[in-house]
Amino acid sequence: MQGFPGGAPDPQQLQATMLALEQAWSLIQVHMNPSEAEKVISSLHSSLMPYQTCRFILETSHVPNARFQAAGAIGDAAIREWGILSDDNKKSLIVYCLNYVMEHASSPEGYVQAKVSAMAARLLKRGWVEFLDQEKSAIFFEVEQSIRGIHGPNRQFAAINFLEALVSEFSPGTASAMGLPREFHEQCQWSLEVKFLKDFYCWAQAAVFNTAGSILNENGSIDEAKACSAAFCLMFHILSWNFKHNVEHADSEAKINSGLRSDAINLKKFERSLVKPGSMWSDILISSEHTTWVLNFYTTARQKYSYDPLWSDSSIATSCRQLIVQLCSLAGSVFPNDNGDAHIKHLMHILCAAVLWIEPPDVIASSIRNGASESEFLDGCHALLSIASLTTSSLFDNLLKSIRHYGTINLLSALTSEAVKSFLDNQNEETWVSDALDISLEIWNVILGDFDADKSPMSVDGAIAASNLFKIIVESHLKAAADSAFEDTDHAKYFHVSVSKRDEQLALYAQIARSAADTTIPFLAQLFSERFACLSQTNGENDLTQTLEELYWLLLITSHVLTDSGEGETLLIPEALQAGFPNVVEVAQHPVVTLSWSIMNFSRRCLDPGIRARYFSPRLMEAVVWFLARWIATYLVPLDVSRGHVSRAEFDNADNHGLQHSRKVLNSFAWENNQGELVLDFVVLISMVALTTYQGENELQTLTCQKLLATVVRRKHTCTFIVQLDSWHDLTRAFARGRSLFSLSGRLQRSLAETLACAASCIKDPEASAQYLRDLMGPVAGCLVENASRSDFKSVAQQADVIFMVCCLLERLRGAARATQPHTQKVLFEMGHTVMNSLLTLLEVYKNQSAIINMILRFVVDFVDGQAVFLDANEKSVLVNFCLQLLQIYSSHNIWKVMLSLSSSLRSESQAEKYKDLCALLRLLTNICSKDLVGFLSDSSIEGSQDIGEVIYVGLDIVTPLISLDLLKYPKLSRDYFALVSHLLEVYPEKVANLNKDAFARIIGTRFILSMLQDSDIVERCLTAINALASYHFKERLGGRGGLNSQLMESEGSNGKLQESISSHFLRLMLQLLLFNDFRMELAGSAADAFLPLLLCEHELYQRLVQEFVEKQQNPTVKSRLAMAFHNLTNSNNLSSSLDRPNRRRFRKNLRTFLRDVAGFMQIE
Amino acid sequence: MSDSEEHHFESKADAGASKTYPQQAGTIRKNGFIVIKNRPCKVVEVSTSKTGKHGHAKCHFVAIDIFTGKKLEDIVPSSHNCDVPHVNRTEYQLIDISEDGFVSLLTENGNTKDDLKLPTDDSLLSQIKDGFGEGKDLVVTVMSAMGEEQICALKDIGPK
Repeated sequence: MQGFPGGAPDPQQLQATMLALEQAWSLIQVHMNPSEAEKVISSLHSSLMPYQTCRFILETSHVPNARFQAAGAIGDAAIREWGILSDDNKKSLIVYCLNYVMEHASSPEGYVQAKVSAMAARLLKRGWVEFLDQEKSAIFFEVEQSIRGIHGPNRQFAAINFLEALVSEFSPGTASAMGLPREFHEQCQWSLEVKFLKDFYCWAQAAVFNTAGSILNENGSIDEAKACSAAFCLMFHILSWNFKHNVEHADSEAKINSGLRSDAINLKKFERSLVKPGSMWSDILISSEHTTWVLNFYTTARQKYSYDPLWSDSSIATSCRQLIVQLCSLAGSVFPNDNGDAHIKHLMHILCAAVLWIEPPDVIASSIRNGASESEFLDGCHALLSIASLTTSSLFDNLLKSIRHYGTINLLSALTSEAVKSFLDNQNEETWVSDALDISLEIWNVILGDFDADKSPMSVDGAIAASNLFKIIVESHLKAAADSAFEDTDHAKYFHVSVSKRDEQLALYAQIARSAADTTIPFLAQLFSERFACLSQTNGENDLTQTLEELYWLLLITSHVLTDSGEGETLLIPEALQAGFPNVVEVAQHPVVTLSWSIMNFSRRCLDPGIRARYFSPRLMEAVVWFLARWIATYLVPLDVSRGHVSRAEFDNADNHGLQHSRKVLNSFAWENNQGELVLDFVVLISMVALTTYQGENELQTLTCQKLLATVVRRKHTCTFIVQLDSWHDLTRAFARGRSLFSLSGRLQRSLAETLACAASCIKDPEASAQYLRDLMGPVAGCLVENASRSDFKSVAQQADVIFMVCCLLERLRGAARATQPHTQKVLFEMGHTVMNSLLTLLEVYKNQSAIINMILRFVVDFVDGQAVFLDANEKSVLVNFCLQLLQIYSSHNIWKVMLSLSSSLRSESQAEKYKDLCALLRLLTNICSKDLVGFLSDSSIEGSQDIGEVIYVGLDIVTPLISLDLLKYPKLSRDYFALVSHLLEVYPEKVANLNKDAFARIIGTRFILSMLQDSDIVERCLTAINALASYHFKERLGGRGGLNSQLMESEGSNGKLQESISSHFLRLMLQLLLFNDFRMELAGSAADAFLPLLLCEHELYQRLVQEFVEKQQNPTVKSRLAMAFHNLTNSNNLSSSLDRPNRRRFRKNLRTFLRDVAGFMQIE
Repeated sequence: MSDSEEHHFESKADAGASKTYPQQAGTIRKNGFIVIKNRPCKVVEVSTSKTGKHGHAKCHFVAIDIFTGKKLEDIVPSSHNCDVPHVNRTEYQLIDISEDGFVSLLTENGNTKDDLKLPTDDSLLSQIKDGFGEGKDLVVTVMSAMGEEQICALKDIGPK
């Protein structure tokens, strides 16, 4: 072949390489010496000009995988060596790959063919910008001929496959890396879309037309069916293209009135999106009745093959359905600007066809349960979701009415209830069931979200359908709950994942319930009262477990119906509930009010010890506590907000008196007649009960501390009430002085302390607030101090009970430290100050108890974090001194220590503990630094105040030796470390000059080299640090000062180790990084910033290194290109020798060009 | 509140005689100590579950014997008490290694302690022996619990 790259081949060599590759593959298959074998394979990929060899293998080898590897090697090598291939070479490679695919189209090893196709596509894209339009057209002409079926179905299939590979190579999401900037990919994408994509679609259409007849007559060959389904696939892929080049119609009023919309967000959940190819595509997609043709084809084929249960899973059926679902998501200016008529007609057509796949749901679901295929059913659901996303809900409902006597929502309701039932008795955990449920709930979400947005009520039919559906959902779930009541629960790893999944589902159910609130809420109330009655009538003999589990589920669903989850936001009463009861004017008759109070009254019974023991199981309590937290967050509306809301409603809606009154009732009932205060009092009492009488029930206690109490305290209006309650005082007193709360686990001690301390900020009088905190934390701190100073402390310290107590106290201190707020900061600093010495004692005494050491460190981290921004000079120096002492003691205990243990897992545990400590220490230093971020304005001239920069350097010098190079491989630790170092070097480069040499080498030294191999985030930080140092050095020297000249580094020179200045050291490093490692383009910017000052400082060395480097190259082409690239790097774009911003920008640009020119062929080395 | 008094550590100096101390199972965390089958262990994994959905929580501990390295497991209702061992660690300077595999350690009050064997594991053994052979000043940490003792850590305090 003309122009095929690579010299004249040596036949023996070719044979030998092929055998080696085949051998390597056979070894991999039997898992023998895989690393050796991989080496052989990767050497082929990275060898110089391997094209002849690969070609030989492709044409002669009988081992398909060897051919597969050879194809891959062609692609990799050509992309890498693109710069040194001639134009002829490039084209001949592409043509060779294409011809190969065509000639071997009937080969049974599809994956080899696919790989060669993909390589052809990849190389064509690489040369897309260079090649002339005629050249491309010539290639595509051949392809088109094949697709039209001139050379038989096998070549047709191969050609379609090639186009599919091309389309996916040109879509940015699936493109392969080429070491080129994003602009290149975008240019290719744009060009393909405008010039070719539509042609491709037409060719595929033609291919389908050609084969359709014989398939429908059942006399098509297998090859024809294969080509046909590939063509469907190609059409699907083309429609999945992210179209950019289109102009949308102006959103006319008429179109909105027609009931169309575009709501793409919901499709994303299922990895789909709207298809907007623009008006250019109108002729082939819309006016040519293309959709109708595809639908008819599918429906006809479906009937023809109805005798074959496997047909709906055949590739032709699946790909055709995929295309139909994709056509369903068409939107935008591809439809003519005719008020949406064409679009609605289009959706109608698809719905008429797709409804056959899902109706009647119960019959289809049961046949799937008996083994029929589910794919058609699921695709039908997807189509329905697309339609729902594109229409308003009334249009959605009406679409079906033209062919049925009921609306689409009715069908959806039947569909969903089938999905729920199948989901609940899904023994084999088949995925289609949960998929079907997810999709159908999502459709509800779409149409109900639309009702919400428009405030237009649902049709009567729709509301009845929703209400019936909700009843079925609740009944099915109650049955499932009763059935599963005796199962053991395992709080396995996935427990929390499954909880959040469950909540998501319940929230969607709740939306359905809210859409028919006037019937569903009374329904829930009735279910509750039946179960309450059942519990109170019992005499202790019957087993209540089933009822309890039903109540548990009812509490969950009711919470979702009555409230939204919105973590941390100010919650509003759901709009659907506010608007759902326009006829209710009496508070006592409002269903939401009665339901709320009936649950509240039931919950109150848990305060009675006898009743509690009978039926308030830990799990039921969990649900009660959770319900309470959400209810309070929603219904104890701040008084001003509730009034404001009502008056606004009056203004908006002056004539709708009933609705406005019902809103008012809902927004104010919770505070009426002191009910609000009573509820809050109950919250404190039930918390006390949960924390003290449900010993060891961590799940319940966590909910109580972190959900219920946190919710109440976080909201100012509830918190101001609660701090005045007697029960609250009892709780804080029990915490501060009692023993009962010491039974909580450490984590809960912390969050309880945090919550209680937070409440201080809601006490208005500053004196009282401070006193509250002192009463709360004083005894805790005091206890720690008193005991740490006991003379016999050392001898009792190691006893388990003492250790437990110390842990509890430390956790409490840490919790309080985390609650630091502007006006509690002073008191909390006092608290911290009192325990400082004791903490140092503990650090000494417990040096072998890693858990306690870690707790002390974490307390200090949080304490510094909370305090840093508030401190005055005096306090700052106290704190900084303390931290330094802490660091020194910690270091003296741990440096050079080796753990010995028989058990490897205990050894690795102790390693992990050390790692955690170091993370904490680094964070501590970082937190101290954070002070100077805000402290630029405060004057540092006050006497005795320490220089933060110096402190950090000392701290870093203490910590650095503890961080072994092994530990630095952990990404989190090394990220923290280099973040800190680069921050320091940026802010205090002048300190570096004064550091002693050892310390300097320790902190900066070899670590940078190592870090260069790590993830780009860390390398970026290192580059920032180098930039900071070098820029400082350059500026100092410019000003005639020494800069960093005194700091010498050891580095690997050409003749052994040599001492040189820091900037030369880094210059060598940078060159290595840029040229030899697999450098990542995204770092080019920061690399340029670090490189420029180094280059300016050490110009002579730079020239020498470049010279050396160029001389070393053997290949004259490479040599001259390299020399040119280096020349351009420093001489193009008017680069000057300064560090101002325009110059840095110019250099960035130069370096990018340099990397693009050089990176490809340097990696061959 | 009936229990409102200042808390202080109840242990007396002589309470060290007791080898274990009861602690509620629910508060024992990963990395804490626990007694399982009368052996002092370090907890490496805790998971909780319930006996029937409306029963009480129980804790499932996986722990490692701190002396033998063997893995042990236990299930305890989380409101019940578990035994937690008193684990002591003492540092001694290493002054000699005898032929028969015993070490000689210098105690705080100037006596020697000669009843401890070297670790049996080869790599650990060589770390001590090599370090000692090179003339380094070594401090060993001895862990003791429930009447057993073992060398558990080694620190090089550098040549003087």
